[in-house]
Amino acid sequence: MKRKKLFIIFFAMIFLGWVGSSTLFAQVKEVKIGVILPLSGPLAPIGKSLKEGAELAADIVNKKYPELDISIARWEGIPNLGGAKLTLIFADSRGDPGWGAEQAKRLIEDEKVVGLMGAYQSAVTKTASVEAERAGIPFINPDSTSPDLTKRGFKWFWRVTPHETWFTRDLFDFLDGLVAGKAPGVKAIPKSELEPLAAAGENTEWGAASLAEIEKFAKERGWKIAESFKYPHKAADLTSESRRLIASKAPTFLFAPYVADAILFIKTLKEMKASPRLIWGQDAGFIEADFYKTLGADVNGILTRDLFSPELAKVKPVAGKLNEMYKKMTGYDFSGSSARDFVGVQVWAHVLNNAKSTSPEAIRKALNELNLPGKELIMPWKGVKFGSPFPGDTQQNELGSGVINQYQGYPGGKLHIIFPFEASTSKLIYPFPGWK
Amino acid sequence: MELTVQLIIYGTLMGLVFALIALGLSLIFGVMNIVNFAHGEFLMVGMYIAYLLSTFLHFDPIISLPLAALAGYLLGIMSYHFLIHHILRGPMVAQLFGTFGLMLFLRYLAMYIFTPDVRSIRTGILVGKVLTLGWVSLDLSKVISAGVCLISFGLVYWMIYRTKLGRALRATSLDSEAAQYMGIDTKKMNALAWGIGGATVALAGSLLAHFYYITPTVGMLFTLIAFAIVALGGFGSITGAFLAGIIIGLIMVLSGHLVSELKFTFIYIVYFLVVIFRPRGFFGW
Repeated sequence: MKRKKLFIIFFAMIFLGWVGSSTLFAQVKEVKIGVILPLSGPLAPIGKSLKEGAELAADIVNKKYPELDISIARWEGIPNLGGAKLTLIFADSRGDPGWGAEQAKRLIEDEKVVGLMGAYQSAVTKTASVEAERAGIPFINPDSTSPDLTKRGFKWFWRVTPHETWFTRDLFDFLDGLVAGKAPGVKAIPKSELEPLAAAGENTEWGAASLAEIEKFAKERGWKIAESFKYPHKAADLTSESRRLIASKAPTFLFAPYVADAILFIKTLKEMKASPRLIWGQDAGFIEADFYKTLGADVNGILTRDLFSPELAKVKPVAGKLNEMYKKMTGYDFSGSSARDFVGVQVWAHVLNNAKSTSPEAIRKALNELNLPGKELIMPWKGVKFGSPFPGDTQQNELGSGVINQYQGYPGGKLHIIFPFEASTSKLIYPFPGWK
Repeated sequence: MELTVQLIIYGTLMGLVFALIALGLSLIFGVMNIVNFAHGEFLMVGMYIAYLLSTFLHFDPIISLPLAALAGYLLGIMSYHFLIHHILRGPMVAQLFGTFGLMLFLRYLAMYIFTPDVRSIRTGILVGKVLTLGWVSLDLSKVISAGVCLISFGLVYWMIYRTKLGRALRATSLDSEAAQYMGIDTKKMNALAWGIGGATVALAGSLLAHFYYITPTVGMLFTLIAFAIVALGGFGSITGAFLAGIIIGLIMVLSGHLVSELKFTFIYIVYFLVVIFRPRGFFGW
């Protein structure tokens, strides 16, 4: 009898042990993350560079790179998931919010992804993240900057990048700094030399949000605006819009277009012999490789809000090493956009490792508790920690920051950090030198 | 006043380029009653020819004009013989999908060969040069492009209305069966319409490449405008395409200056008005 009991207990232990190991401690071979990006259509060049940024990060997570001083380079898979490999499943949004949402649904239902990432354009991120919210699947957004996205109170949406409110505050800190004489290599500039401002933004979710933020901050900081208008993006022609900017007689031009329109604006302004004293672009089109490769010397002196510069290597060696790897792979430098998608994958890797599970609830908890230090990142940020940095924000990274860069010495030149002034890597070229 | 004059000049110059883009679309529809969805892709081919010749063979892009026109002509003829000629036997829907398929094929082939990167021509005798006339400064390449468009329109007009070949083409367009009875080789005429259509739009592409960026999806932007021009000017009408092109160019620039966001809305309001009050367009039959 005793032997029988012992046998049953022994059998039960073996059985439970077997069940336990196969379910609770299952060896996950791979973790699938769905990445939605604009891989065809006018934004395809940007989409391609973002995809490459994400792929490089996944490669570093999955293989050993001892020369890199960041934790994912030492991992070979996700350590707390038994070395499971990170697999990125890319889906093309075609730059279309409806199609982007379809892709999110497909990735969740058919591909059974653990979570989602993307989708660059704010409008696409908005619809795709609704699908994730419905399904209760975490959506990490590394690259969309419309402030609204983190003001919806979503439970399954986290944003890593700083948003427009931040960047526009940076712009006005920069402008005020010019007047106060804080810019490197330039004496205090009278405000009358920079005022009024003229702004043009494309009529998309992101463009409209950018213009609204510019108008709001200008009012708060006491800067006059002569012109502020939206234009149809993917325009076949931008002569009237450029003419309108010139006719406003504003010395400072502010732009929020994607790459094709950004190129067209600069070409048209050059043709019309416009002579602004300052040109500032709201990231996006102004930081893409196609922008400076296409325009060559015509970009010199143009300022752009950004998040990254290859010049960061001077103060952050790991950023330099990663940029070299990316350049070897693609032929061009990391941009603020592609570097953010690199960070997006990094955040996914850390969160999965901290969660020790692929269950949505465990990932959610890990995301809300994440505190990734700045030394792990390619960006000049203090780190990644989700909170509420501006009124109304939820699950928004509090530790991000932007920079304002200036193109100098192109072609073959450098994108120098000008703002924050204390981190500048070169003197500011002012006024804008014009086009030859 | 100065501003208005400037805008009118800009609008007219762009309008002439738009008109040349729309000419081929109108001609093909006029002769064969087929809408060529791949028209924008023919434009893209013209742009890439100019780009390749200037970047890799270091030719001035101006030299690419006749070569692009020739390539466009061959592309048109080939499209007709290898695809259109066969799908003509199918129902109307097959014809629609046929040219739609051609559009996708050419676009994604270009995407495969050239990647989706945005490119542009950086050197050339016209590239980036500015022409200053009093207080108006104009992009020299746009002025020359508008001139080439005018000459091309003149040539096509002369060919169609003043030559025997043109008469045969017009006869095919008016009544293909009757033309056949009169001994006209309508198959040849159809191919010719595709050839001229391809040549003019590829020529427009190589002109556009002087001042516009190049990417595999660039045709899409211009195809929509070309459709509005053809409907406005009248299907199959050369004079109509010419005038409607200029009108669309002017509407775009003037309305763009006033309410930029609505500039395409204005174009389609004018288009709707014409469709309501004169469904065949200005010069259509």
